[in-house]
Amino acid sequence: MVSLLRNQKVRNTLLQVLFVGSLAAMILACVMIARRNLAEQGITSGFDFLFKSTGWDVNFSLLPANANDPYWWFFLIGIINTLFLGTTGLVLATIVGTIVGLARTSSNELARLLGRTYVDIFRNIPLILQVFFWYAVITHLPTPRAAHEAFGMLLTSRGLYVPVPNVGGAALAAAMLAVIAAVALPVWLGRTSRLSQPLGERLGIQLTAAATALASGAVILALGRSPGVPILDFPSLQGLNLKGGLRIPPEFSALAVAIAIYGGSYIAEIVRGGFKAVGKGQMEAALSLGLSPWRVFTLVRLPLALRAMLPILANQYVWLMKATTMGIAVGFTDFFMIVALTINHSGQTLEVIGILMAGFLAINLSLAAVFNRINRAIALKGNQLRG
Amino acid sequence: MNSTQSSGPAVRIENLDKYYGSFHALRKINLSVKRGERIVVCGPSGSGKSTMIRCINRLEQHNGGRITVLGTELNDDVGNIDEIRREVGMVFQHFNLFPHMTVLENCMIAPMIVRKRPRAEAETTARRYLEKVRIPEQAMKFPGQLSGGQQQRVAIARALCMQPQIMLFDEPTSALDPEMIAEVLDVMVRLASEGMTMICVTHEMGFARRVADRVIFMDAGEIVEEAPPEEFFTSCRNERTRQFLSQVLGH
Repeated sequence: MVSLLRNQKVRNTLLQVLFVGSLAAMILACVMIARRNLAEQGITSGFDFLFKSTGWDVNFSLLPANANDPYWWFFLIGIINTLFLGTTGLVLATIVGTIVGLARTSSNELARLLGRTYVDIFRNIPLILQVFFWYAVITHLPTPRAAHEAFGMLLTSRGLYVPVPNVGGAALAAAMLAVIAAVALPVWLGRTSRLSQPLGERLGIQLTAAATALASGAVILALGRSPGVPILDFPSLQGLNLKGGLRIPPEFSALAVAIAIYGGSYIAEIVRGGFKAVGKGQMEAALSLGLSPWRVFTLVRLPLALRAMLPILANQYVWLMKATTMGIAVGFTDFFMIVALTINHSGQTLEVIGILMAGFLAINLSLAAVFNRINRAIALKGNQLRG
Repeated sequence: MNSTQSSGPAVRIENLDKYYGSFHALRKINLSVKRGERIVVCGPSGSGKSTMIRCINRLEQHNGGRITVLGTELNDDVGNIDEIRREVGMVFQHFNLFPHMTVLENCMIAPMIVRKRPRAEAETTARRYLEKVRIPEQAMKFPGQLSGGQQQRVAIARALCMQPQIMLFDEPTSALDPEMIAEVLDVMVRLASEGMTMICVTHEMGFARRVADRVIFMDAGEIVEEAPPEEFFTSCRNERTRQFLSQVLGH
């Protein structure tokens, strides 16, 4: 018996069994205690409440919503709002970060100084403070009557009013897919056959793919448009208020701007690090071959910098996605706020928090999976690299 | 501005000065390299040999004096710099291949973009030079999948694909394991025998003896000694050269 305990394999197995056993016991105890406590307070657990109507409304939704809709529909609205805010924030933060990051690596001293100041300021102020700051700024914009106007968009203290196409939801979604395809197809074609076709011909194929996708998008829009109204619905002043178009509430704008500016300062550092990680030697080699500085940038520096950035960037994106939960601070109905309201109204705390966690896990794990996939696809091959 | 000028020296360096801040890296260097000439530059580390050859294709900017390459003066004129870089190939100590492109792409990219060669022609040229450096079978691999010696031979092929008139070698064997040095030197010897104008910074004294028309010894930013190899190795005049040679050849 004693000799058996000295066997490495036996020991490891025993430890595993003990570990799994105590974990299972702990979970079981938690569930049993929770059930007894819930029963004592007269709360019925389960997911039946999902199909009851909420009785309250949301202030912003991309889907039609009213107080008679069931909870599950509201959760869907919350997730879509979070995704909408998250993607807007991520895209803007990436643009800001790229510009600031490039400024920080530039040879121009003024640009470097500006970039550094930007990062120093916005990286060191808590996100929630920045959200409040931008919310205050945006709610102090002019009234609808004195709105700032640009490209058919109106900027007021009640929000940003943007023109929307007068088409059915399904057609709009299909058209958006077409636009994504128009961007993605040429990139994909470019990757699969970098040099297997002459540069000129490849460009032709890529342009054709993009044009085809865009054209099909236009056709879908034309077919899906509501009859008898102009294709674009422009916001306009009627009486004291604005009618038409889509209203982006100040809450959303404040959050998007804050995430863009705060996230941008982190992404700027990632971008800078990525460019720093590219060996000087590769760029010198490219220059010595007679490639122009622009070609050196696009063919050598950027592709190598991207490979260094992506893993850290994925991490940052996941972080920023979670930052959308700041919505509750200014009253934007993101997923987290819907969950908080649901807890107040239904009392189904455990179930709802479970749904919240599952939702964020699903979003962020998919994001991470996509990035891992890209990382693997573009990873440098071989282990004999130096310099 | 005529790059195909067939008379005059390939490279002429007059009174070249180079500073790094207050450090005087090159002091009044004068050197003229004839077409087809093979020059080996040696000297202790920090003596300015790499800096000098890096000035020839403007990887370093000189602070004084004149550099003329194939009749074109190297100055702030971007057109001149481009023209010179097109005609001057360079091989680096750490190979500096583009790790995200295949060996073939490494060799094709500059001819296609800088010389505007059609793809088929660029590929034929690339394969021919890969054959020449004896690694045609590695064309579809990535640099990271090759040994150091193979990578350096790809780097030589990549430079040759631009069909340059002058080749610069900046310590091409210093980062290689001993057993790989020979395969790279072999390629360089063959290149020399074909009449390429070469300027090599190297400590391979055997190579210098075999192919160099002239050996140049630099120390502290100056050319200290300049002589044909047999003379250089047997009867050098300068004390510093003798000391250096005894250290390199001592073992």
